[in-house]
Amino acid sequence: MRVLDIRSRMLLAALLPLVLISTLLAVMSLLERFGGMQDAYDQRNRSVVRQIALASEYGLFSANQAQLQALTNGAMQEADVRLAVVLDGQGSILASTGDQSGATIHPLRSVETQGFDAQQRVDWLTQPVFASSIPIDDLFEKNNAIEDGAHNQLGQVMVVFSRQSVDARQLEMLLMGALIGLLSLAFGVALAVYLSRGVLHPIARITSLIERIGRGEYVGIEVRHQQDVAHDPLHELQGHIYHMADRLAAARDDLEQQVMMATQALRVKKEEAEMANLAKSRFLAAASHDLRQPTHALGLFVSRLSQLPHDAQTGELIVNLEASVRAMQNLLDGLLDISRLEARAVQVNKRPFALSVLFDQLVQDLSPAFQEKGLRLRIRPTSLWVLSDATLIYRILLNLVGNALRYTERGGVLVAARGGLSSGQVLLQVWDTGIGIAPEYQQTVFTEFFQVANSARDRTKGLGLGLSIVQRTAQLLAHPLNLVSTLGRGTQLSLMLPSACPSIVPVTSVLSTTVSTEDLRNHCVLVIEDDALVRVAMVGLLESWGLQVFQAESYSSACMHLKQGAIPDVIVSDYRLQEGPNGIETIQRLRTLLDQDVPACLMSGDTAPKLIAEAQALGLTLLHKPVRPAKLRSLLRRLLQGQWGTGEDLS
Amino acid sequence: MPLQSRPQPKVVIVNSDNTAAYVNAAQAMTNELIYSGLSAKDIQQLGVSEWSKQMVQVQQTRIYVALGTTATAALAAAKVTAPVVAALIPRSSFERVLRDSARKPSSQLTAIYLDQPLLRQLALIRLALPHARQVSVLWGPDSSRSAPLLRSLVSANGLTLQEAGLESNFNVFQDLQQVLNESDVFLALADPVVFNSNSIQNILLTTFRANVPVVAFSPAYVRAGALLALYATPEQVGKQAAMLVQDVLHGQALPGRPLESSDFEVSVNEHVARAMNLTLDAKVLRLELRAMEQK
Repeated sequence: MRVLDIRSRMLLAALLPLVLISTLLAVMSLLERFGGMQDAYDQRNRSVVRQIALASEYGLFSANQAQLQALTNGAMQEADVRLAVVLDGQGSILASTGDQSGATIHPLRSVETQGFDAQQRVDWLTQPVFASSIPIDDLFEKNNAIEDGAHNQLGQVMVVFSRQSVDARQLEMLLMGALIGLLSLAFGVALAVYLSRGVLHPIARITSLIERIGRGEYVGIEVRHQQDVAHDPLHELQGHIYHMADRLAAARDDLEQQVMMATQALRVKKEEAEMANLAKSRFLAAASHDLRQPTHALGLFVSRLSQLPHDAQTGELIVNLEASVRAMQNLLDGLLDISRLEARAVQVNKRPFALSVLFDQLVQDLSPAFQEKGLRLRIRPTSLWVLSDATLIYRILLNLVGNALRYTERGGVLVAARGGLSSGQVLLQVWDTGIGIAPEYQQTVFTEFFQVANSARDRTKGLGLGLSIVQRTAQLLAHPLNLVSTLGRGTQLSLMLPSACPSIVPVTSVLSTTVSTEDLRNHCVLVIEDDALVRVAMVGLLESWGLQVFQAESYSSACMHLKQGAIPDVIVSDYRLQEGPNGIETIQRLRTLLDQDVPACLMSGDTAPKLIAEAQALGLTLLHKPVRPAKLRSLLRRLLQGQWGTGEDLS
Repeated sequence: MPLQSRPQPKVVIVNSDNTAAYVNAAQAMTNELIYSGLSAKDIQQLGVSEWSKQMVQVQQTRIYVALGTTATAALAAAKVTAPVVAALIPRSSFERVLRDSARKPSSQLTAIYLDQPLLRQLALIRLALPHARQVSVLWGPDSSRSAPLLRSLVSANGLTLQEAGLESNFNVFQDLQQVLNESDVFLALADPVVFNSNSIQNILLTTFRANVPVVAFSPAYVRAGALLALYATPEQVGKQAAMLVQDVLHGQALPGRPLESSDFEVSVNEHVARAMNLTLDAKVLRLELRAMEQK
């Protein structure tokens, strides 16, 4: 059943009894009236017939047809009379008026009779006519035969009445009754609607009130409170609702205050945490800067040292020294990578490239390490091209394969790329047969400084930054990274890359580090470095590459060189100089002095994101200390060949 | 019951009915007899049914008086030894009783007729309606026996008669219309076929419309609309019977033939008289009529 709304229900409740009672009353009164009408009709008919019978006595006695005809004619004047007939004592018609067709002339009877012809809707009545009797002396009268009345019947009167007018009046009454019923019903409806409005309006008002409370509007309700009429039927309810609204508003205010206080507390906590994080970053930056300078110099010295002739024993020492320096530099590079990724200072440069180039480089870079550990590095040859940043992908590969190498004792590492996926992407995978990662650590391995099974913090096992760098880089490139590992069986890491069409653009130069020193010979380089130790190491290294080096400890001493007629082909400057302007300004001023955009690069032990961004803005290549000699050489070669100014940030 | 205690009435009055007319007649007769010196013990009144049950002939009974047709028929059939006088009985009824009992009127069984003699009625007509010449009569089966007598009396009195005879199946109105044409007075002669309580209203209405006065035989007819009625009251009949009883008790025999009522009464319907522009006084008429008869 359809659910009725409150208005319909109220109307129904008000009107249903009304309709029932009024219908019942109407039917009862109509039935009674119909009965009354029928009775009156019957009675009148009977009296008409009797009257005619009485009046026709003498006419019948005297067989006065004219008089009887006058009587029947007179009878026709009475309402509803269709036919009036007078029969004589033998049953033959003496007089008749009206329509005789279809009417049955009833035979002589000594009693009153009547009947109804349903087909023609007519009533017929007969009345015997007797000579009126007068009591007289019984002394002469003993004729018993005459006593019995049969012989005295003079005749019979029959009158046919039509019910037409009664039916018409009944119909009229019925219609009138129906009309009155409808009018009273309409009045009842109007009244019910009017009265229900008095109840429904407050209900509607309260509904809207509750709606407003539901929407949280507590304000303004008090104002309405004042306006309400005191004799409102739902006044009390409304009062309670106002009270409830007040309480709700109070509760809400209370809650808001509590939330505000909690938020305040949280903000304080967050600020504290941010401060702590900032302190950590500052410490990290400061520590790495301070470490970089000596490490940088150390690297340069060892590189310089290895170029000198030595006996076999010293040579072996130098090789070990170089390895130690390289490890130290790797650790610093890792820290630097994280620091730069955190600073969002890494610029993504997506281009199509062939994965095979990266794989070749990987073999070249890592094969010696694998051979040292007695493991096998298998690279499955591929012809797939992908759309990404080759440098960053290579860094990911280096980290992943390096990581695999670090945690694998037997077997080997497999690097493979699978194309032909339904998504049209390329899956780059690195498998190892290492110790694996327990399921509970498979999420935490990506956090910084986390290392499985290295609670002793063995430095040869790295800082635990590898996977963190991989994940951040993958996020930067928007490539999904997936890790599957079984403890004791090995680990599989996969990276999903978008595939690309093969292109003929050579990108190998991006990764080329094999540079002959020949390209650098006879070029002039200006080195600005305030740290004497680093400056000496730099000069020694650069000179060993056949470069003519001018060295300066600040802008002013650099200017001295220029005044003496030196014209550098390239400027290498430290960022943080103890005297005068910093490296960026120095380079800018020197360029102004020389009146030409001399190729320049900036070196810094500072990993502050601000500096990185500033260098990028000026299109200066920023080298982070400790700078590996190979990388520096490669950069110099490129700068001298005119491939500078891209604002690259190389490490 | 011992013989001594049994009533020994000299006069036994048998009533046909206990309606007022019979009771009054019996009472008048008894009063008259007691007044003439007879003891009340010598008179016994009883109804026909009582008498039929008793049926014991009492030696001392000198005369029976039968009031009404039923009593007369019962006594006539019982063959009582004492003479019987019938009273309050129409002539036609007494004649029927005689026929039924195969007797003849004698000093043993005689009657005082209720009907007024035709001569007296004609005399009343002449007295009350001196201009009347045409007399109309409607005969019934009973009354038609008097037709020859009336015809002779009418012509003897200088009147003419309009008459119509009736059989059992009749149409009163047509015959009535016929006789009322050119009639000056309508003489109603008792006959239950013609004149009865059902017919009287319409007959009187017809005569009234025809403007013909009616001379009837019972005061009831005057009350119903007849102009005049000539009749003997039960008291008058009772007195006349008492005189006969006294004669018998004194040793005389009863007359051998039935008697006409000696006394009579005249009734006038004043309204009808006024309507017919007549001025009649019943007492005067009676006295004049009596005076005429005593001449």
